Amino acid sequence: MSDSGKPMIALEGISKTYPKAAAPAVQELNLEVPEGTISMFIGPSGCGKTTTLKMMNRLIEPTTGRILLDGEDVTTVNADELRRRIGYVIQQVGLFPHFTIADNIAVVPKILGWDRNRITARVDELLHLVGLEPKDYRDRYPRQLSGGQQQRIGVARGLAADPSVMLMDEPFGAIDPITRDRLQDEFLELQQQIAKTICFVTHDLSEAVKLGDRIAVFGPGGTLQQYDTPDNVLTHPANEFVGEFVGSGAAVRRLSLLELSRLELQSVGLDGTGERNGAPTYEADAEGRPVRWAYLPGTQARPKLVTVPHTGTVYDAVDVMLDSQTELVGVVDGEQRLQGALWWKDLVEGLKTKGQA
Amino acid sequence: MDFFTYVGSELDELVFYGQQHFLLVAIAVGIAGAISLAAGMLLHTNRLTPDSWSKPLRIGSREGLLVASSAALTIPSLALFGLLQPVLGLGATPSLTALAIYSIYPILRNVVAGLSSVDDAVLESARGMGMGPVRRMLSIQLPLAWPVILSGIRVAVLIIIGIAVVAGAINGPGFGSSLFLGLQRLGSVNSFNQVLAATLGCLVVAAVYELVFWAVQRFTTPRGIRV
Repeated sequence: MSDSGKPMIALEGISKTYPKAAAPAVQELNLEVPEGTISMFIGPSGCGKTTTLKMMNRLIEPTTGRILLDGEDVTTVNADELRRRIGYVIQQVGLFPHFTIADNIAVVPKILGWDRNRITARVDELLHLVGLEPKDYRDRYPRQLSGGQQQRIGVARGLAADPSVMLMDEPFGAIDPITRDRLQDEFLELQQQIAKTICFVTHDLSEAVKLGDRIAVFGPGGTLQQYDTPDNVLTHPANEFVGEFVGSGAAVRRLSLLELSRLELQSVGLDGTGERNGAPTYEADAEGRPVRWAYLPGTQARPKLVTVPHTGTVYDAVDVMLDSQTELVGVVDGEQRLQGALWWKDLVEGLKTKGQA
Repeated sequence: MDFFTYVGSELDELVFYGQQHFLLVAIAVGIAGAISLAAGMLLHTNRLTPDSWSKPLRIGSREGLLVASSAALTIPSLALFGLLQPVLGLGATPSLTALAIYSIYPILRNVVAGLSSVDDAVLESARGMGMGPVRRMLSIQLPLAWPVILSGIRVAVLIIIGIAVVAGAINGPGFGSSLFLGLQRLGSVNSFNQVLAATLGCLVVAAVYELVFWAVQRFTTPRGIRV
């Protein structure tokens, strides 16, 4: 998530009015997506978010305004050549049913005239990247794959010619919730490696908050209402429309933005190694993994010791607390060592992040 | 003389008529196929086709061609062969022309249906990856529409095999002349055998075509969409 600030793709005063339509679908839009970041386009139906996305690779030609790709004005260059420089992934995937998986991924490299060895190597590399074993999948046909696997291929195909910008139109919208969640996690991991500039249309606010470095909220008549970090959109909606759109769940959604590793947790000690001086202590097994609470200040109750990994978010911690009906949860590192504790009352009394006194 | 003895004695003649009949149908359907494919591809439009001055023109010509070719299919075959005679004379040329006219509707209908059956999402992703219209047509739309187009060609062939007999009325090639001769002298020696042999000959030609289509379908349908 390097944010160098340099816009990789930018729209300047873009408008789209369809022929015979009275009102424009998108109005005077200015938007800059910094290199290597993910911008999520969200808003109610018919607010122009997909139209805006499709104007970026000119599947829809803007009526007025300029499109800048890496500083170059691409408003009037050859549209097909422009599209080969921009990855494009859609909800219905749209794999070519009569092409093998390898041929599907290789479409743009073939058009660009790469030699065969380079294409084969690239296809295998991309299959690895999206977590599908090349030798098992290369020669299969799309209909032999599940929906989730097809969308992985869709993403791999979009990445094939190593475009600097990826446009994704609700790529996980038609996938069941469990698979979608996994694909989102994989997508974030993938982005860590490839650091593409990504524009991503979604209608799911949780998805926007989870994946986005920035969220662009679109409003009626194709206007951009707010373009900011997820945290700011949730806590400081720019206007009434955004506030209403973000809705009453904003406070809860924010929990999933806060990683536990960034929090100032209550320190805990291994029982018997020091004084019971107000900090909770616990008993551990032979490998040092926490087993049960030994002492909790101010209470005789000994709730079950439940843990959550420090890579999780406050949302996960709350989930664990509600699930096991305890008022505190232990935060553990990768080796299952207890790093600290988070109390239920911390949530309402205000969470402290590290470096904040 | 019984039927089998008749066929035995006339075998060379019958095989020759059979080959003529087969070729007559093949060439007529070939011409109609080329016309229908070219027209169908040029005039193809769908929801994703960008609006331009030519879009209504293309839709109009396509529908017009479909109406005209379906109307042509209702012209009684004997009449059509007769009507072409003053312009094109006798023999193979008017026969091929008439049969090609009859073949256009089933083929064009299926070219149009096949091309519009291609999934919009597939076409949108093709456009989004920078495939131009010609590349899209040749490497995506045509292969995916092919099974439907092929079944249209097959229907055309089956219709034409029967109608081709009428070519005999204007001295055209195939079983027709033999059949008409037999009918004219019905009651005289071997006339019934002659009619029966020509009729069964058409069935044999149809059976050969079925085998050909089975093989063509097997080898030209892309593997990923084979049922």
